[in-house]
Amino acid sequence: MIYRVLDPTSEESGKVTGLARRLITLRGTKVGLISNGKEGTNDFFAIVERLLYERFSVAEVISRVKANYSAPAAASIIDEVRNWNAVITGIGD
Amino acid sequence: MHLLSKSYELADLAESQEFYHSRGWTDGLPIVPPTPEAVTACLEWVLMAPEHLIGVEPVRERPITAEKLAINAVMAGCLPMHFPAVVAAWTALLQPQFLLHGATASTGGCAIFVVLNGPVRKEIGAQSEFDVLGNSDRSTSVIGRAIRLGLINILNVSPGAIDRSTLGHPGKISYCLAEDEEGTAWSSLAKERGIPDQVSAVTVLAAGAPRQIMNEWTTVPEEILDTYAAEMRGNMLNYSIWAGNYALVIPKQHRDHLEAAGWSKADVAEYIHLKARVLRADWRNVGKAAVVREKGEQEYTALPTAQDLLVIAAGGPAGGFGAVIPPWLGTKSRAVSVAIGVCVDC
Repeated sequence: MIYRVLDPTSEESGKVTGLARRLITLRGTKVGLISNGKEGTNDFFAIVERLLYERFSVAEVISRVKANYSAPAAASIIDEVRNWNAVITGIGD
Repeated sequence: MHLLSKSYELADLAESQEFYHSRGWTDGLPIVPPTPEAVTACLEWVLMAPEHLIGVEPVRERPITAEKLAINAVMAGCLPMHFPAVVAAWTALLQPQFLLHGATASTGGCAIFVVLNGPVRKEIGAQSEFDVLGNSDRSTSVIGRAIRLGLINILNVSPGAIDRSTLGHPGKISYCLAEDEEGTAWSSLAKERGIPDQVSAVTVLAAGAPRQIMNEWTTVPEEILDTYAAEMRGNMLNYSIWAGNYALVIPKQHRDHLEAAGWSKADVAEYIHLKARVLRADWRNVGKAAVVREKGEQEYTALPTAQDLLVIAAGGPAGGFGAVIPPWLGTKSRAVSVAIGVCVDC
């Protein structure tokens, strides 16, 4: 007996997005830091901010914290990202 | 009915098992091959076209269609009569307040706890007594499993992919029970949560593993509930201190004492809300002194309000046992109740 069976997956590849254009230098740029709000991000991003100023001579570091670390960033934060040259985000467990 | 999913031709049952396992499309247990006939039967039972949109997972923007749910439900062992509960559960999971992506991706390792209420329980033969948290019957087992297989296959919530659980727990295989509405004078969980009487419903909760308690040495409601509250305090200190939707599964022996004393579900919830509280300083006793800081006298409640407690009548007729089912993580994800097969607010 031949079984004909069906694919249980979404069969969608998801939204295709390219990488953002790479920066040649961080010097003089505006860099955003988006923390997920977890305890572990406090010290980590403080160090990242210091390194950005001291080692990479960025012009400005903007820090934002998500209201809910398990949900996407608020639309207001995403809107701000458009005005930044680069953004650093990640998990702070 | 024209199904839209890609199909495969396989030689026999053994080949179909290996085909699905080898692609990571199972939970490790054997599956029922989702033939077009079986999937069509599920869709016809709920009067839905294959492309009917159940909802969209809001973070990854993945559409969830009736056909894909039916395929996974068949794989889990569902018959058509089980499918309406699966559809309702997914409708609930896709509500923004459930935060499905966070709950299923978290290292916290929760599972989807599903409670059935209303006439559907009897129609599908769901059991509410013995082993109620241990896959007591076919219906609750396959409905719970259908949720998990759908997560794995439609949303890629498999271990190490989207699912980043450090431990997980056995409820991930299936975590569904039916409330024992006939064995109690209490109103059903669904009714307590706003579903009209005699309407079948599901309630979903992103939940940790059940924490079993025992107190067979009193008939005093306050003393019985003190044991449940103590377990909740234990969860607050040892796992997560944040307030959220806790569920209490209260079997008949405890219920009989509570009901005989005239306690309603609301009375239980009010008492638990008062007693399930800890001070931040209590963290010092469980190895977490480092995060007490200067806030030791700050009080934390297990429940944001008494109404956030889900009191469920279920379990075998004998034994002074009960269970606390904790939320995944405070109010990050909220319990959601949805009527089965009807729209009660449109």
